[in-house]
Amino acid sequence: MAKHDTPMLDELEKGPWPSFVTDMKRQAETHPECWDILGQLELSYEDKITHWKHGGIVGVFGYGGGIVGRYSDVPDRFPGVEHFHTIRVNQPAGLYYSTENLRALMDLWDKYGSGMTNMHGSTGDMILLGTRTENLEPLFWDLTHDLGQDLGGSGSNLRTPSCCLGESRCEWACYDTQDICYALTMHYQDEIHRPAFPYKFKFKFSGCANDCVAAIARSDFAVIGTWKDDIQIDQAAVKEYVAGNYPANGGAHKDGDWGPFNLKKEVIDLCPTQCMWMEGDELKIDNSECNRCMHCINVMPRALRPGKEKGATICIGAKAPILDGAQFATMIIPFIEVSKDNEYENIIDVIERIWDWWMEVGKNRERVGETMQRVGLPTFLSVMEVEPIPQHVKEPRSNPYVFWKEEEVPGGFERDIVEFRKRHAA
Amino acid sequence: MAMSVEEVEAAIIEKAKKAPKPQLYIKDFYKCAPDMKPRQIKKIANKLVEKGELMFWSSGSTTMYARPDRIKDEEGAEGIN
Ligand code: HEM
Ligand code: HEM
Ligand code: SF4
Ligand code: SF4
Repeated sequence: MAKHDTPMLDELEKGPWPSFVTDMKRQAETHPECWDILGQLELSYEDKITHWKHGGIVGVFGYGGGIVGRYSDVPDRFPGVEHFHTIRVNQPAGLYYSTENLRALMDLWDKYGSGMTNMHGSTGDMILLGTRTENLEPLFWDLTHDLGQDLGGSGSNLRTPSCCLGESRCEWACYDTQDICYALTMHYQDEIHRPAFPYKFKFKFSGCANDCVAAIARSDFAVIGTWKDDIQIDQAAVKEYVAGNYPANGGAHKDGDWGPFNLKKEVIDLCPTQCMWMEGDELKIDNSECNRCMHCINVMPRALRPGKEKGATICIGAKAPILDGAQFATMIIPFIEVSKDNEYENIIDVIERIWDWWMEVGKNRERVGETMQRVGLPTFLSVMEVEPIPQHVKEPRSNPYVFWKEEEVPGGFERDIVEFRKRHAA
Repeated sequence: MAMSVEEVEAAIIEKAKKAPKPQLYIKDFYKCAPDMKPRQIKKIANKLVEKGELMFWSSGSTTMYARPDRIKDEEGAEGIN
């Protein structure tokens, strides 16, 4: 495999930013198949069409996920990318690696693949880019036997669960994100490694509303830490912030010219529910209006902390498919306890209620968020056996009819549709 | 009367043999056992892959099921042993 002329790609090496073209050229010194990636990409730029084919392979023996098959449609010109499969490796919870482990992974990938990686994919996994079919089984053997690591999910499987680093480093974590991520990864091994659903399904766990894994935008099932009681306030620390003795946002913005800290402008006026005010030099919060957005806590971490009664909010149905566009997850369960003492039984109940329904009602290639959109939130809430609350309402009603079920009306009502149709044909 | 696992397996294989397109979605198998929960049917279909009666086939982002002998195309055939 020799170097190809790539005048258009070479343009992408100009400018001050890093360039994947430069990276691939460097990689090609030791893995010549990388010249063929560049050559094929240049050809795509000329032809304005992709030269990759999708499909076929999905895993190693016994697995129906973790490997994403990719082939060149011009293998004669670019034999190095005739096969160019992507491998997903389940990342450790919170993305903690030892350098020893990373070196071992890279040695493995240098041996069996192109050496190119993508850390981390949007699912969360480590992505190993580019290998041939015959390398898959040996690589999988070494990965599982020597490194004790496993493939992640792909296709219509449960995708590799991911989480923020949570309690390991962050004082705001309202539950142990890493523990539940690991526990559910183990609990649902079958669903991760073998296809289970009409389409993909993702769990993501964030310890608080800062949502460092972007669960609300990227997961079908987002578990986001929150609290029930009041934000904890240390009024003495509030005074220190006002006096300029404590840096706002933990000093994160100290290099900018923001002027002296202004509590009203930077905290009170930016509270999305306008539930904060000053009484003399005391900061007050109407906690019944607070939506636990974390803004004020982020700005004054030494004065404000999450409450003590901690748990999580469950939001369902984020997705980003190309055709219908992206949508955030919808808040379904405002508060649920997240505790390892019951092995997350209550969370598992919620998950399986969704699956049982979606697998039945969801169409092929329909994400659960799309199924929810199709049937409407009221129907979905009744499936979930969740009582509607004002916070479920996104906008004023646009349908003038009110539908009652018999059990919702005092005294009920008799309505025999067969009798009725005898008199009034449809 | 509830179907036995063997009956469901036979119905799934029959469906995979006769369907106009070789690749089927998991939902296409639900009708093979109307009384069974989708998650049970999925388990049975995945067992059939283990036994070599079916294979997984990926469209790129969705996973489908097929009879190995009905997949002619090179990428599919070598996909799963
Ligand atoms: C101009 C060139 C490219 C652009 C702009 C681009 C952009 C992107 C973006 C925005 C994502 C999503 C990132 C995320 O949220 O995780 C992505 C993912 C990905 N890219 Fe690229 N990319 C380029 C070239 C390539 C090439 C040349 C390859 C392979 C050789 C590649 C392989 C991938 C893969 C496999 C993923 C998915 C990772 C996962 O499974 O989540 N990309 N790319
Ligand atoms: C013009 C070029 C390409 C287009 C238009 C394209 C389009 C897509 C689309 C529509 C998806 C599915 C997104 C979804 O899950 O809803 C996808 C997934 C993916 N593509 Fe591509 N793709 C291209 C090139 C590539 C290349 C060059 C590679 C790697 C060599 C690649 C690897 C992947 C992977 C790993 C996934 C994720 C599959 C999964 O989620 O299981 N794609 N791509
Ligand atoms: S999501 Fe919240 S708890 Fe998790 S790391 Fe980010 S700030 Fe900390
Ligand atoms: S957490 Fe958000 S909503 Fe609640 S008081 Fe602070 S800024 Fe306002």
